[in-house]
Amino acid sequence: MQISMILVWLWQVLVNKYTLSKRQVVNELSTFYSFLAGFLIALIIGSVILLIQDKSPSDTFSLMFKLSIGSVNSLSSSLNKATPLILAGLGIAIINTVKLWNIGAEGQIFMGAIGVNLIYINFQFSNSTSFIFILLVSSFLGGAFCILIPAVTKVLFGVNEIITTLLTNYIVIGLTIYLVNGPWKDPESLNFPAAAYVGKEVYLPNIFGKLSYGFLICMLLTAFAHYLKNNSVFGYEMRIAGGSEMTAIYAGINAKQKAFFAMLIGGGFAGLAGGVELLSQTHRVSTGISQGFGYTAIIVAAITGMRPIGIFLVGSLFGALSIGGSVIQTIGVSTYIADIIQASTLFGALIIQFFFNYQLKRVDDG
Amino acid sequence: MVDIQFLGLLNATLQAATLLFIASLGELITEKSGILNLGVEGMISVGAVAGFMTAVNTNNIFLAIVVGVLSSAIFASIHAIVTVTLKQDQTVSGLILTILGLAVSSLLGKNYVGRKLETKLESLFSIENPSNVLEVFLNQNIIFYLAIIFTITISYILKNTMFGTRFQAVGEDSKAADSMGLNVTKTQFIATCIGGAFAGLSGVYLTLSYVPYWTDNMTAGRGWIALALVIFGGWKPYRTAIGALLFGFLEALVPRLQTYGFELNPYIVKITPYIITILVLVLLTIYKGGKTGAPKNIGIPFFRENR
Repeated sequence: MQISMILVWLWQVLVNKYTLSKRQVVNELSTFYSFLAGFLIALIIGSVILLIQDKSPSDTFSLMFKLSIGSVNSLSSSLNKATPLILAGLGIAIINTVKLWNIGAEGQIFMGAIGVNLIYINFQFSNSTSFIFILLVSSFLGGAFCILIPAVTKVLFGVNEIITTLLTNYIVIGLTIYLVNGPWKDPESLNFPAAAYVGKEVYLPNIFGKLSYGFLICMLLTAFAHYLKNNSVFGYEMRIAGGSEMTAIYAGINAKQKAFFAMLIGGGFAGLAGGVELLSQTHRVSTGISQGFGYTAIIVAAITGMRPIGIFLVGSLFGALSIGGSVIQTIGVSTYIADIIQASTLFGALIIQFFFNYQLKRVDDG
Repeated sequence: MVDIQFLGLLNATLQAATLLFIASLGELITEKSGILNLGVEGMISVGAVAGFMTAVNTNNIFLAIVVGVLSSAIFASIHAIVTVTLKQDQTVSGLILTILGLAVSSLLGKNYVGRKLETKLESLFSIENPSNVLEVFLNQNIIFYLAIIFTITISYILKNTMFGTRFQAVGEDSKAADSMGLNVTKTQFIATCIGGAFAGLSGVYLTLSYVPYWTDNMTAGRGWIALALVIFGGWKPYRTAIGALLFGFLEALVPRLQTYGFELNPYIVKITPYIITILVLVLLTIYKGGKTGAPKNIGIPFFRENR
């Protein structure tokens, strides 16, 4: 009883004496600080969950740390894991430049992989470098094709792109399951439905150790996405198109056209994530092409305020977290801990961001 | 004498529709107050697993329903705190609520995968083999009748009472509502939690009656279809109910097509509900020409400037 009275009193003091106001100047690094604070909050939440399960948080986290970035080998696997996350995150960020959401990255990743396999089984090239290049292009086109219907219906009729892109995920994953159980089923993989492996000649080689060239592609595309969003004419036009409708008209910018191409490019980035994953990691089409990369990429993109460089850094961290999350299974800790930490990081960051955007001011009650 | 296959189809339609409809009714209430919550999928999942765990451990169905509903409402309050109290982006928060909800429910339900439910939610009047349409309707469980009661009362409250009008004013123009002396923050906060409670009820229906077991990701996109249904229904309870019946019918019909003599690939059959949802959404948006009937203030955080 007394506690609740104190709370009521505190509330009254806050409501009567203080008022909320928007800060005129928001700290430039607020997103970064919010992320750090959010990550700390998420680690605390993760520790609490571990304690409930009778596991030692410090042991678990140090094991995750050791097995995800403790050695060159594990660091390479973490960065390989981060590659599709970052690519899909970049795709989401590019589409968000026109203030649209792409929730369909998961489906686009699968479509990218399907695109690669489709070209691989129908065409053969003697030069393996150019073949890999063609396969990567086809994964880009696969991702772009996947978002085509949401893009066309958004631009022409204004259909809610959040729901259409999300539903395409289920359609494309269903299509993948159909393909690996039906037309593309590899008779040699008996229990696990999957398509046949691609030949060794189209494997993306490793730079050193386990680190794939996919990560290099990812670095280059991060730089490209940064340029596209912030320095290019198209990026400028996209920002206008995503801002105010009237401004776009006055500036002579075809907002719908920009939105359409932004969506196709963004979808292509996510498709490329699937292509790189197939050519460097899984080497065949199966339901294991993506383990929720498309959804984690949403967290990565949103937490950084859609900044490509930030996506690269946070994506790398989350890749390590996923690797750490999958190895702690061996000591009986659920892999979902990693998912929960990632999602809680964003919630924590959103809460902290509030204090950067608003301030409590004392009311002068004279 | 009515065809037994038809009765089976009707029964399946009603069940699938109830599941979708309850969640979309909750989202409708939330959106009417001006808050967009994309976390329906996650909230259904949390309610489903919480209800299932309670039912397995206590064998008390009533308690399971209460726990499922409450846990989803509490889960939805995360969205309420972040978007209503702290005025952050509703799209981001809702999306992450889905991801978090699916992860949390998978974590909680890890030891419950494959467990059998001793007592499932029985129909109100136990009729062995329904032989006419009326008996099929009487053979539903309590949540089905609750859904009907909710539709009628919510529609009545929104249309005909002062409370309902004020409630909608918050979603249409929160600044005007605020200057009229309505408590915008409180209304939106409660509406978000009520939306969560409804999603929880839908989740409980899923694991205690519709498919009485628990597996990861068993919501299978139903939360998103529920979101589409709110748009389909133009933010009106009765039209949303019609939409739910239509989708429930399709969900019930497609697996049965084989018995009517159609040869279909089972993998393709599984993705048809999603294709149809997109198709319907597109046709509807074209038909309405952009005037969807959405609350004007949806997605915009309310912030009262300094006095």
